[in-house]
Amino acid sequence: MKTSIKWLSHYVDLKGISANEIADRLTLAGLEVEGSTSLAQGTQLVIGEVLTCVAHPDSDHLSKTTVNIGKEVLSIICGAPNVKAGQKVIIAQNGSILPQITIKKTLIKGVESNGMICSLLELGVDPKTLSDTQKEGIEVLGDDAVIGGDPLSYLGLDDVILEIKLTPNRSDCNALWSLAFEVGALFDRKVKLPDYLSFEKIGGPTQLKVASETLKCPLFIGKKIGKLSVKPSPLWMRQALNAVGIKSINNVVDISNYVMIETGQPMHFYDAAKLAALEITVKDNQSGIVKTLDESDIHLHKEDIVITCNGKHIGLAGIMGGDDSKIDENTHGIVIEAAQFAPYQIRHTSRRVNLMTEASLRFQKGLDLNAAHKAVMRSVQLLIELADAKEIESTVIYGTAETEKRIVKVHPQHINDLLGDVYPLEKDIEIFKALGFNPIMEKEMIVCSIPTTRLDIEVAQDLIEEVGRFVGYGNLKGTLPAMAMTQGGYDERQQLRNKIRSLCVGFGMNEIVTYTLVNKDKTVEGVSPLENPLSLISPLSDERQYIRNNLLNSVFETVVYNQSHKIKDFQIFEISTLSHIDLCQERIALVQSGTITINRWQKETREADFYSLKGIIENILSENGYSLGRIRYEAVTDHPFFHPYQSVKVTLDKTVLGIMGRIHPLLAQKLGIDSILMAELNIEPLLKTKAAKIKYNSVVKVPVVLRDLAMVVSEEVSASSIEKVIMESAKSLVKSVEVFDVYTGEHIEKGKKSLALSIAFQAADHTLNEEEIQIHFAKILEALKTQCGALLRS
Amino acid sequence: MENLLKEALDALHKAADKTELQEIYNTYLSKKGKVAGLMAQMKDLIAEEKPKFGAKVNVLKQTLEQAYSEAQERIHQQSILSNLEKDKIDLTLPATKLKVGTLHPLTLVQKEIEEHFIAMGYLVKEGPEVERDYYNFERANIPQDHPARDMQDTFYINMDWLLRTHTTAIQTRTLEEYNGKTPVKVICPGKVYRKDDDDATHSHQFVQIEGLVVGEKISLADLKGTLELLAKRMFGESRVIRFRPSYFQFTEPSVEVDVSCHICNGKGCSTCHQTGWIEILGAGMVHPNVLRMAGFDAEKVSGFAFGLGVERVALLKYGIDDIRHLYTNDLRFLSTFTRFE
Repeated sequence: MKTSIKWLSHYVDLKGISANEIADRLTLAGLEVEGSTSLAQGTQLVIGEVLTCVAHPDSDHLSKTTVNIGKEVLSIICGAPNVKAGQKVIIAQNGSILPQITIKKTLIKGVESNGMICSLLELGVDPKTLSDTQKEGIEVLGDDAVIGGDPLSYLGLDDVILEIKLTPNRSDCNALWSLAFEVGALFDRKVKLPDYLSFEKIGGPTQLKVASETLKCPLFIGKKIGKLSVKPSPLWMRQALNAVGIKSINNVVDISNYVMIETGQPMHFYDAAKLAALEITVKDNQSGIVKTLDESDIHLHKEDIVITCNGKHIGLAGIMGGDDSKIDENTHGIVIEAAQFAPYQIRHTSRRVNLMTEASLRFQKGLDLNAAHKAVMRSVQLLIELADAKEIESTVIYGTAETEKRIVKVHPQHINDLLGDVYPLEKDIEIFKALGFNPIMEKEMIVCSIPTTRLDIEVAQDLIEEVGRFVGYGNLKGTLPAMAMTQGGYDERQQLRNKIRSLCVGFGMNEIVTYTLVNKDKTVEGVSPLENPLSLISPLSDERQYIRNNLLNSVFETVVYNQSHKIKDFQIFEISTLSHIDLCQERIALVQSGTITINRWQKETREADFYSLKGIIENILSENGYSLGRIRYEAVTDHPFFHPYQSVKVTLDKTVLGIMGRIHPLLAQKLGIDSILMAELNIEPLLKTKAAKIKYNSVVKVPVVLRDLAMVVSEEVSASSIEKVIMESAKSLVKSVEVFDVYTGEHIEKGKKSLALSIAFQAADHTLNEEEIQIHFAKILEALKTQCGALLRS
Repeated sequence: MENLLKEALDALHKAADKTELQEIYNTYLSKKGKVAGLMAQMKDLIAEEKPKFGAKVNVLKQTLEQAYSEAQERIHQQSILSNLEKDKIDLTLPATKLKVGTLHPLTLVQKEIEEHFIAMGYLVKEGPEVERDYYNFERANIPQDHPARDMQDTFYINMDWLLRTHTTAIQTRTLEEYNGKTPVKVICPGKVYRKDDDDATHSHQFVQIEGLVVGEKISLADLKGTLELLAKRMFGESRVIRFRPSYFQFTEPSVEVDVSCHICNGKGCSTCHQTGWIEILGAGMVHPNVLRMAGFDAEKVSGFAFGLGVERVALLKYGIDDIRHLYTNDLRFLSTFTRFE
């Protein structure tokens, strides 16, 4: 909200208080001043009169002038097209500092110039408040301007505008009068409002009828002014409205705006002659069109509130009046409307039709029910004063204005307890008095009568806040809560998540975070996507319409981005929750791309492959207490995301966790990326599956005997089946089996592969002798021959 | 015999390599060596002299054997030392890299704040992102017609369900779970969503952390003390904070919390828009309506709550100029964030 300090000072004495002081104090009291700008800026400005004006000898657009500024006559070169002898103008003298430049004595095309004749643009005046003539040339002052005087004061531009950001609870300060009380209370200054109350009684008999047929308009006040004259507003009013960014139209329209600024109550004035009947009814459930003042056609929805006259739509309530009944220079009588409309409806309608007006902004924040009445009285006062209003009829009211003051109580100790400091009772009372709450003591309670403007004061805590913000929190000393010790910490889920994160970081992976909202395509296929993906009623765009039901589709975006930026070698992971109605499923997605380089010059680099990712997953599981024996892999041959020969479903005990493997080449091609390894696993089963407890088994001291074994088998025979055969044929003595070489190619028959294994034998209780080992080794060889068709190589 | 000893010891001392040493061994200590020769002389001696002579030769033999093994060890060590130069390498070649990954900066900031509060006895509470309108708004004291509940600002799924707009929804759920029991001491981190177009300072998705303490006589001063510690932890020991009165539905009184600028130490710079202060948190005393709705006796207990945006802290702390960088996941960007600071 824009507030003119000059205008504010009409109601509260601000002598000796600078605009900056007001801004700071308001901010610390919760009315945040976001900016403060002078209407015009410039030092050493003076009013001058152009004595002579001739063309510059060496230029076709410059003029050479002499200007009398009272104490001397300056010779100034001026580039403005409209400069003429005899004009009163604004002079920036040598040394004057303007927003863009500092003025000094110069030579312009060989002629000396001492100062500048200014346009208002050059003084930093908001171009929106200027006419085209004003923007294109120097400002020409009226004949009444005094040579040598202060031009800013003459123009009413010696004002500072505060931009105040009101919190929703303080919309009362949209009314300058309310703000005056706030400032008065903060600086302990007297507030004096215009004496408008007596204008209530003015008014003869009236034919006007007003009514509302919707609950969205609980109050409608109408008043007919039979006769008035439309003319320009006086300078002070034009300047005041200009200062807060409202264009002056004529005295009548200006009064409605002026009173709106004062009271916060938007009004509408209708040309009485243009109304089909002296009857106004507020309705909703309408259809058709309203033609508004800005000459646009608004198509009504049935929830919109409409002002009607004799069945005709004459205004979009609370937003903009109709074009048909607007005030113009021929208006001789008016009907005043001051009403209350449901804030949410004004908000919805004004957003839908994209019309944000001074009125709609105020209505949607909620208004004091008494404001309408105040505004009508004040309007009558000004219309009599400035528009020769006569034939004033009585006020007509639909609904009732709430006049009862709300009573709110607070215990002084409660103030101290909640704020955590000591506030003397006298201070509390002083603050409530300054705010106009009329505090009285009743038993031990402070009882306040809240003015109707302060819609926000409802409970004791609201009163406590008033004390807090008036005293300020600057001296409040921080303490820590005094309470019983509590044990802090992460729960099991958070601990597991943190552990997995640490492991992945340890494996050299970078964590990523991607958006939850995705487009529809990304919800169709994936690793076990949640069924019936949720979509938003009104999304920002199609790209962000769905709540993701799987992770990998989002992670692909990161892969595409990085690979397309020539970053090919990376490992990334994301842990995120997939959400649905009453369902949260935490998952992890992992991707390896390109080469995992350890040391290039030592040739320690390797392409990421199925086994490198498998290793990461096995480590994540085993480090969390799930032994490899509990993990099963099952080939996945028909998932559109995964390579049919390099992908597996990962199962822990009997629960499927997800899929890992190489991206399907067709998907990689579609995404435009190089092949990657990827996995998406559900973390939830880990939280429901018991992990092994760490248990110390005494170290077996008897030695381990290693036997290597090389064989040729069909390519179809898997390493795990060979391992199984070995383990089963010499159960208790084989401690582990490790594949250390796999070879296909030269010297090996087509369709076969050579495998080399190392078998570790160990008995729990004695050192194995050669004979024992031979017996078991022979058993193993026999089993491999018969069960795996293995051909042993010597 | 003495000459023999001296001569042999001399030779052992001088021996330079294994071959020489072997020769010396052959000469003196082998079966056909000079010491064996001395022993052989014994048979020519008379019986009374034999023991004395024998003892002498034995001493000689032991002395030489001792000296021999010392010489052997000396030559062995010498040969190791003289071979060391062959191990010479280029000490400047690159090291073998043990690549360590990184946590996302949002995780880093979130965890830093979590751990700060855990150390003070807070629990970490989470909740669903697809949330009931009821917990997100109603229970947070945000009435039906409030602008925050408009389609314009909130991602609705249907009439009753939405993407939570703030982690206050976790607070309202937590209060319900405690059902009037105190103390409540939790922090509530999580992703939240608002209908904002993405630009340098706005993101339709972001991470919030809210804190909530409810107990007897919890005051605004307690809130200030708690947030002072947080500001120092996140932005340095010399930070101070400032409360400005503000308004939130969930709290009364409400304050905006500014932290003295960590870039200019409060003198004024572009980061703090020349004010010396950076707005970083919203906070206040839990509104009695909120406490009552969750079964607390608002006459007997009070509480404070605060909330901050993790993105904003990350941007300020690390000097990131665009919030969208946090969701682009450029590996060069991510690799920067190696630790808590």
